[in-house]
Amino acid sequence: MSTRGVETDEQQRIRFQVELEFVQCFANPNYLHFLAQRGYFKDPAFVNYIKYLQYWKEPAYAKYLKYPMCLHFLDLLQYEHFRKEIVNGQCARFIDDQQILHWQHYTRKRVKLLQSQAEKHLMTIQNEPTPQKSV
Amino acid sequence: MTSQKSTREVLLTCIDDIEIIAKELLDNLIAQKQQKPVSAEHSQLVELVLQKDTELKATLKLAEEQGVLQQKVVALETEVERHDIEIRNLQKQLKEAEQLLATAIFQAKQKLQAIAKANSRPVNSEELIKFAHRISASNAVCAPLNWQQGDLRRPYPTDIEMRLGFLGRLGEMNVNGHMSFPELLHRPNHSMQQGSSVPNSQAGTYSWLSQNDLQMPGLSVSHLGVGGGMDHKTPKKENEDVDVMSTDSSSSSSSDSQ
Repeated sequence: MSTRGVETDEQQRIRFQVELEFVQCFANPNYLHFLAQRGYFKDPAFVNYIKYLQYWKEPAYAKYLKYPMCLHFLDLLQYEHFRKEIVNGQCARFIDDQQILHWQHYTRKRVKLLQSQAEKHLMTIQNEPTPQKSV
Repeated sequence: MTSQKSTREVLLTCIDDIEIIAKELLDNLIAQKQQKPVSAEHSQLVELVLQKDTELKATLKLAEEQGVLQQKVVALETEVERHDIEIRNLQKQLKEAEQLLATAIFQAKQKLQAIAKANSRPVNSEELIKFAHRISASNAVCAPLNWQQGDLRRPYPTDIEMRLGFLGRLGEMNVNGHMSFPELLHRPNHSMQQGSSVPNSQAGTYSWLSQNDLQMPGLSVSHLGVGGGMDHKTPKKENEDVDVMSTDSSSSSSSDSQ
């Protein structure tokens, strides 16, 4: 892997897996915070690498991603301002909280839907015996 | 028109004049009984009265004609009003029609744009379903229904998962000595068969890369045919990123970031 020039098939395979995992690690704000604290975002080579990783946004590559949130963070990481901000622990925690809340969005919607349906069902059950009761 | 007097005024002045002349006449007649007769003045007055009378009659006739014309005018005005109402209604309807058509055209244009957009980047429906399954089945985009505070599952790869993935073990590999790719593939298989002590995290390993990628290297190579085109761009970066990877994984394995 240290030789320059044409990569072998195996090297390409390894690089694919490595980059696939690495780009998905960006979905973890704590990991980004960790990288920022160790000064990786100040290295121009690393910044170039992040820019290069944007190829994962293309559909041919994106279909291998399991954690698509990483693409959003990949976009954010292109901005120097974000790279500087994420050194701050509070920032990382805030992003984490918001991410988890957003993650629960569909779950909340589904729960609400189920609840409203259950309520409707209860109402219909309650309304049925009233004609039989003597008022 | 403003310099002429209206017929009503003419009539009224006429009547006033006759009244005055009549008064004069009567005064004269009364005076005649008491004094000498003034017949010249008297006849003048009578003539004046007669003249005023004809004037009055003429003005009355004029007033009658004007009345007839006025009726015609009123009739025409109502007709004009009616037409006016009809035109306004028509205008309102045209405006509504224009609005409806504009909305319809706008929506049709949007639909055409959507069609063009969809046609420009067609996606195989099967691939779409595969992708949707991949991101949803592992709860990567939607929280599991029984998720509570304190549950360790997250929408991103956690610390443990990262260490147990290919990247994490690559770091160990570099530290422990050179291992070939097929060995690395077979190693997790072997430990799976023995039954590992951390079943969840091992399951995490497999969910990390899809089973397809591990068991069908042929498939990933064919897709790398696309990635091969990127090759010429990045030999330099690859050197640098290898350095980054090795330092990264070694430091991640020794740190407690969470």
